[in-house]
Amino acid sequence: MGRYHYVFPKWSNLLLPGALFFGATFPLYAVFVVAFGFSPKTTDVGYMPEQPIPYSHALHAGELGIDCRYCHNTVEDAAHAAIPPTQTCMNCHAHIKKDSPLLEPLRESWESGQPVRWVRVHDLPDYSYFNHAAHVNRGVSCVSCHGRVDLMEEVWQEERLSMGWCLECHRNPEPHLRDPALVTNLAWKFDGEAEAEADYHERIRDQFAVNPSQDCSTCHR
Amino acid sequence: MLPKFLLPPIPKPPRILVIVTVIGTTFALLPPAIAARMRSENSREPRIHLIQDMDNQARWKAQQANSLFADGRAMRPNVEGTVARGELRTDDHLERGRVIKEGTEVWADTVPTGLEVSEAFVRRGQERFNIFCAPCHGWSGLGDGPIHRRAQSLVDGSPTLSQGTVWVQPKNLHEQIYIDQPIGQVYATITLGARSMAGYKAQIPVEDRWAIAAYVKALQASETVAETMIETVATPAEEN
Ligand code: HEC
Ligand code: HEC
Ligand code: HEC
Ligand code: HEC
Ligand code: HEC
Ligand code: HEC
Repeated sequence: MGRYHYVFPKWSNLLLPGALFFGATFPLYAVFVVAFGFSPKTTDVGYMPEQPIPYSHALHAGELGIDCRYCHNTVEDAAHAAIPPTQTCMNCHAHIKKDSPLLEPLRESWESGQPVRWVRVHDLPDYSYFNHAAHVNRGVSCVSCHGRVDLMEEVWQEERLSMGWCLECHRNPEPHLRDPALVTNLAWKFDGEAEAEADYHERIRDQFAVNPSQDCSTCHR
Repeated sequence: MLPKFLLPPIPKPPRILVIVTVIGTTFALLPPAIAARMRSENSREPRIHLIQDMDNQARWKAQQANSLFADGRAMRPNVEGTVARGELRTDDHLERGRVIKEGTEVWADTVPTGLEVSEAFVRRGQERFNIFCAPCHGWSGLGDGPIHRRAQSLVDGSPTLSQGTVWVQPKNLHEQIYIDQPIGQVYATITLGARSMAGYKAQIPVEDRWAIAAYVKALQASETVAETMIETVATPAEEN
């Protein structure tokens, strides 16, 4: 026995194929984990912070049919879509369910003049520039970027909001275009054949000469 | 168990190596599993943000919070009692809907000069009316919008569920007194509100308020036009 003491045991023949297998699969695995795990689809999409008031878009914008612009009234004129001030809620809630415990933070804000501290959901990096008016007035609906907000009890982030996502649409905006009068109608779908639909989108594109820029300075200024 | 001839003649590796391999493989499956779960669910937790770059800079976007100020607003509200440059609004006709006629101040019955009543203007008014007024006053101005119906059903229902709801029906804008109101008064109602209706000065720019007022007048006229049309259509039918 003694003289075989330093010879590799027979099972060590497994080590070479094992190491080769590991060496071949691990890089693939690492790439997969990083691409899958660190994509904004994993890290950003689905962010749904808890809001100070359980305000429901499904009730107000969906069931009661209040137009988005009743509250987000700057969306057609400015880069920023304003979150409504307390006054806007009080137009109705000075009368409707005015003693509701859920509306306590609203009443507090109304009395003290302090803003309601809504938690921001969508947030681009500060070095990028986005403009709501440029999109909404060209017939890009809220639904293309925010999903069916009118069905959400609480707002969550539906899209990646990454540069790749912006460019995907800037390269081929046509399928997202509609009559600008319909941008806040999130349930709207073109009613008709696929060909007629393509025509419709093309017509809108021509009508407003829509040609989104892909220059870096459009979004990094 | 596989038949013997299919199993390669390799002796068993030491147990410890097998255990390490199995545990290693199991742990390797964890990250994809966690990622898959994060993709399928909404999350209350702040976004994962490993590489900060210059994503959050020492500047503030519109409506962001800034702890430097006592009220936490980065956008500073106007100081009370001051007027920003270029914001001094002294045109009574445009701003308040009031004009001087024969020495006394009365409601304007025309749209201020500078605003042109065209079809586009009234269409704009219609669109704005549907956004800001229709929830309460209804799309045709009859005072039967979805908010009214919901609020009325709360008032009519159980008092515990209504949670203090008090509700005055939004006015039917086709009532004679509103048909008789000059356009300036309708404009003033939109701007400042009326009794239990809030004013829309903060939400709607001044030109759009005039456009809505013009549309309300058009809507009232269309109702009377429709009535006379029905009458003229209906009368011969009865005679036959
Ligand atoms: C009655 C007022 C009201 C109406 C109508 C309304 N919203 Fe909102 N919206 C709010 C308030 C208040 C918030 C902030 C609280 C929150 O995020 O839920 C908000 C938040 C949002 C956000 C998230 C903003 C962020 O923090 O990133 C989006 C997106 C949004 N609304 C889209 C819409 C769309 C689309 C519609 C029309 C279908 C709509 N809203 C109609 C009041 C309203
Ligand atoms: C145009 C009218 C209108 C506006 C504006 C409005 N709401 Fe409401 N809201 C309603 C009505 C009507 C209900 C009651 C629905 C029901 O319970 O049947 C309601 C219900 C609610 C409730 C549920 C209360 C409870 O006890 O069940 C909350 C919370 C709420 N609103 C928050 C808000 C906030 C925050 C805003 C401002 C961003 C706002 N609402 C603006 C009409 C309005
Ligand atoms: C082309 C895509 C796009 C469209 C269309 C769009 N949004 Fe947005 N929205 C965004 C992005 C991106 C942000 C985040 C902006 C930021 O962080 O500066 C945002 C932010 C918001 C916010 C938070 C406040 C702000 O401006 O940061 C609200 C509210 C909102 N959107 C409402 C709307 C409504 C209502 C519509 C439809 C009338 C709409 N959006 C249409 C992409 C879009
Ligand atoms: C669903 C389609 C769509 C998406 C997604 C989209 N855009 Fe756009 N974008 C457009 C269209 C359409 C225009 C209008 C082009 C025109 O006016 O010719 C536009 C115009 C713009 C403009 C204005 C350019 C100018 O001329 O002033 C900016 C800035 C912009 N987009 C930034 C962004 C950013 C940043 C994102 C990602 C967060 C984004 N967009 C995502 C469709 C989209
Ligand atoms: C349609 C708008 C748009 C255009 C055009 C655009 N970008 Fe971006 N870019 C963005 C947005 C939004 C982000 C931030 C989102 C993200 O992190 O992916 C971004 C992020 C970046 C980043 C940081 C990426 C990171 O994750 O660190 C770089 C670098 C960049 N852009 C370079 C460019 C260059 C170079 C061009 C021109 C070839 C360009 N961008 C054109 C919208 C745009
Ligand atoms: C939140 C619900 C609500 C909205 C939105 C609303 N109103 Fe009213 N409005 C009312 C109520 C309630 C009254 C009755 C007030 C009273 O008699 O106490 C009223 C009364 C009126 C009157 C009659 C005032 C008078 O002199 O007696 C006019 C005119 C009017 N509204 C026009 C409008 C216009 C135009 C808009 C859109 C900019 C609008 N309202 C939006 C609820 C609303």
